[in-house]
Parts: sequence; structure tokens; C-alpha cells
Amino acid sequence: MSVAAQGELQLPRTRATQWAAPLASVCALLIVAAVAEIVLDGALGHSVLIPKSPQIAGWLTGIGERLGYRVFLIALIAATVGYAGLVAFGRSVSKRWAIALLATLHAIVFVGPILLSTDVFSYIDYARLGVLHGLNPYTHGPIAAPHDAVYHYVGQDWKKVDTAYGPLYTLLSYPFGLLGVSGGLWGMKVLATLASAITLVLTWRCARARELDPVVAVLLVGANPLYVIYGLGGAHNDLIMLALMMGAVALTFAGRDAPAAASVIAGALVKATVAVLLPFMLVARRSRGLLLGAIGALALGVVVAYAVFGVDGVNIVAALNRDAAFVSSDSFATEIAHLFGKPGVFPIDHDLLKVALVVIILHLLWRTWRGYDWVAASGWALLAISVTSTWLLAWYILWPLPLAVIARDRRLLVATLVIQALFVVHQMTPLLAPVA
Amino acid sequence: MSAPESAFERRLRRLPPSFRPRERELPGSGRQWRIETAVLILVGLLLTIAVVNDVVLGTHVNHRLSADLRTWRAYTGHDYKNVSTEQDVLHFTTVDVVCGNTVPGPPKERTQICLQMSGPVSGGRRKIAGGWYVGPKHEDLRRYRYGCFGTPKAKGDCSR
Repeated sequence: MSVAAQGELQLPRTRATQWAAPLASVCALLIVAAVAEIVLDGALGHSVLIPKSPQIAGWLTGIGERLGYRVFLIALIAATVGYAGLVAFGRSVSKRWAIALLATLHAIVFVGPILLSTDVFSYIDYARLGVLHGLNPYTHGPIAAPHDAVYHYVGQDWKKVDTAYGPLYTLLSYPFGLLGVSGGLWGMKVLATLASAITLVLTWRCARARELDPVVAVLLVGANPLYVIYGLGGAHNDLIMLALMMGAVALTFAGRDAPAAASVIAGALVKATVAVLLPFMLVARRSRGLLLGAIGALALGVVVAYAVFGVDGVNIVAALNRDAAFVSSDSFATEIAHLFGKPGVFPIDHDLLKVALVVIILHLLWRTWRGYDWVAASGWALLAISVTSTWLLAWYILWPLPLAVIARDRRLLVATLVIQALFVVHQMTPLLAPVA
Repeated sequence: MSAPESAFERRLRRLPPSFRPRERELPGSGRQWRIETAVLILVGLLLTIAVVNDVVLGTHVNHRLSADLRTWRAYTGHDYKNVSTEQDVLHFTTVDVVCGNTVPGPPKERTQICLQMSGPVSGGRRKIAGGWYVGPKHEDLRRYRYGCFGTPKAKGDCSR
């Protein structure tokens, strides 16, 4: 190759490097502006996108306008475009700027109202059932205390439903039941923000341990629009599960197998899904410490759960089976059913999806046995769970994300982001033909 | 690793080579990687088509429901906000039923008029095939319907 030809090839690269930092800044600003728009408009309440809630963000009212579908979806698209840019130019972002961006996004969401989900009110209601009404949330739904101050805010579909969350989470939430509805809400927001911060710190550490760019890794997780708007915005307990999951990965990387297994079990006692990591860890590490750590933590968890909640507190399988039968319009199963001219998902489809999931997990376990990256295999398993679930919510497709950014198989990250992008595209219907 | 684990490892070494665990994948021809990638791309394509199809479907439904509401308001002369629309989710037809109060009041607290809409959207409205009335504080169930007119009358959709 001639010198001139080499120069021609290098020129665009130099230009790209020069433009990368300013473009990344523009993308970061776009995400911040989009999230701020949603929060400020949402603070006004009276929107189908904002659940009925005590006025915790009252001081923000008057700045924005009532949040409608159109504005929300445009902001979601803007945040997604900004995020795509950040994925492309993330390498040019400095550590300091990345931390500043993530702190800003967390702060904006923290001061705002609860976004897009009533789940947090269910968390508080279950806690109040236990600490104020002396009822077991594993045998009683919110309807057991209809005069409770938080009952009014619980989602209609969940008023008769017992808790499906793990006993560790239920115990963790009990103190928040004593703080009143607003106090409990702020407590849940603090918990979600703290869990998110821990997840990001651990993602950073894991990326460094794998000699990946930690700045890009945390930006991919912490600036993700679904993570910020849906996950943090709704103060979902999935963030606690993710923190414990990343704790397990970080401990495994440090060679501390027993605490790593205990961390996975703790995560599963918050939300059972994360238990899927354990077989991959066992197959990859084949360590006695891991097995003993898991058995010890599980035994402790079961004893405590049984002592506090009785047999219903340890029967997580029943709750999982119940939830597996739910169907949401955003699930890929429903969309495929529509594609083939069916009105929705039938019981046979549930069975087929379960078989597909088992086949995928067995294949991944075999691959892990033969040397495939167990972190990637765990991420694929979590992605498969969310894609084959008939009850898909935005925060479920966040589960594989922290693993995807540190996995040795880059296909996992691409697949996770594609699935998230498809979820965002599916939300766009109201933008295309608004209802009068 | 501790002594019992070594025994476990020794037992694993007795397995045929193709079943033994590995610390790292062997750098091979990448055939498995290519097959997996091809499957992933196919699954991705299926999901993309399903999502786009659902968005288009949803857009058409929204367009239709918009026209239903406009038609109901034009027919009754009431510009009510709380008008309920029901789709035929059982047979997946485009026949919708739109119900709303005949006189001002809270939703379903007054006598309701339900109109059955069918056909394509034309000029932002749809054809009214007929309808019926439902008493106050009642859901639109066959046993509460009366005064059927148009197609529903011919099909005997009213109990009275």
C-alpha cells in the first residue's frame, strides 16, 4: 500500500476520533434531556403513564406539562438514539464524565415521581401487611387490608395476588412498611438507587478484571434508557437482584466461590430468576466451595423464610408457576401468535416455550462444560427466559445486560440490545395512529 | 483445589475426550459458532417481523377505534370523553361495539346506547350496522340489552 493510500485510510479514522468526544457529549445530553422531560412532565401526575401516587415530586410541578404518550415516546426514542450514540462513541468518554452522566441520570429519576409501574406500591403493601396488619404476604394479597393507606395505589391486577418475591426481599422491605406511604416510597427509591449504584460499581470491577473498558461497560448499563426510565423510574426490586448477581460474578472473578454462590442464592431469595446462574457457575468452576456456599446459603434462607413466613414463604415454585401463566401484550410470544393469526397465547404455547427454554439452557450448560464463558452462558439464559416469557415487562430485559457487557461473547451484547430495541419499537404504536 | 476435588477431577479425566470438561474452548474451525450465529440471526429476524407486524396491526386497530369513537359522537351528537369500545377479540373480526351514556352523567350510570361498527374507515368514520340500549349501572351483556336495531335486531342479539 502506498503512503498516500495509507494516509487516505487514516484520515477518516483521525476525524472520527476528533468527533467522537463531542458526539458522545451530545448523545449524553440527549439522554439527560429526554429523561428530564419525562420526569418533569410526569411530576404533574394525571397521566396514564404515571401511576396514582402520593405527591412526592410536588415541587417539580409547574415546570412541565401533563405527560402524554406522544411526548413520552418521543423522549424514549431520543434517549434510545442518544444511547446508541453513546454505545458507538463510549470509548471517547472519560471516567469522570461517565460518572457525572450516570450520577445526573440517577439524581433526576430519584427526585421525580414513580414512572410507568405500580409495582413499588405492591412492595410497600406487602410490607405493611406483614408489619402493620400481622398478615403473611405469601398467603394474603393487598385486598386483605383494603383500608390500608397504600391499597388505593396498588395496581388493579395485583390487589388479590399474594407476593411472588423472595423471602429475603420481603424481609428487607418490612422496615419500609413502618414509614408511611410517602416514607416507604422514598425508602424504596433509596434502595433502588443504592442497588443500581452497587450494580454499576461491580460492573466496573468485573469489566476491569476481564480487561475490558470499564467506562464503556458502566455506560452501557447505567445510561440504558430502559434501565433508567423503567428500572430506576419504577424503583423495581430487579435492581437489587442485579446487584447481588453482579456481586456473585465479582466474587467468582476474585476466586471466592463460596460467598459468590451465597450471593446468587441471596439474589434468588429476592427474585428467583437469578438462580439460573448457579448451574453455570457450578459447571464452569466445578468447585466444592461453590456447592457448599450455595447449600449453606439456601439452607439458611429456607430456615429463616420458614420461621417467618411458614411453608408458603419457601414455596417459590408455586409463585413462579402462577406468574408464568400471565400474558402481556409486549411479550414476544404474543407478537408471534399475532403474526400467525392467533388472537393470543394458548396453554400449548406455554408448554412449547418451556420446552424451548429447557433445550436452550441444556445446550448452554453443555457449552459451558466444554469451556464456553459461563458469564456469557448465564446472560444467554437470562435473555432466553425474558424472550420466552409470556409476561414480558421492560425491566425483565435488563437482567442479561450487566452480564452482556462483561461477557467474552460479544454476540450476547448485540442480542440483548436488539431485543431491547425491539421492545422500544413495539411501544411506538400510539405515535403512529393516535386515539382520538 | 482440595483432595476430594482432585478425586472428582480424576474421575472426570476418565471420561471419553469428547465428554471431558474444558477450562477454555478449543480454537477450532468455528463451525458451531457459525451455526449458533445463523440460528440467532433467524430468531432475530422472526422477532423483528413479529414486532413490526404487531406495530402495524396495533396502528390499524387504533385507526379503527379512533374512527369508531368519532362515528359514535357524530351519531349521538354527544361529545363525551368516557365512551367504551369493545373489540371482537374472540373471532378477530373488525366489528366493534361502542357504548356511551344517552344523557350526561358518570360512565355507565345512565342508560347507554351501544353502536355496532363494521366495515372499513371512510372519511374518518365507519358504518353503523345497528345497535341496542343497556340500562344504567349495567355492563354490555346480552341479558341487559334491549331495543335492538339494524343487524343486531335481525340476529336477535337483544334479550328484550
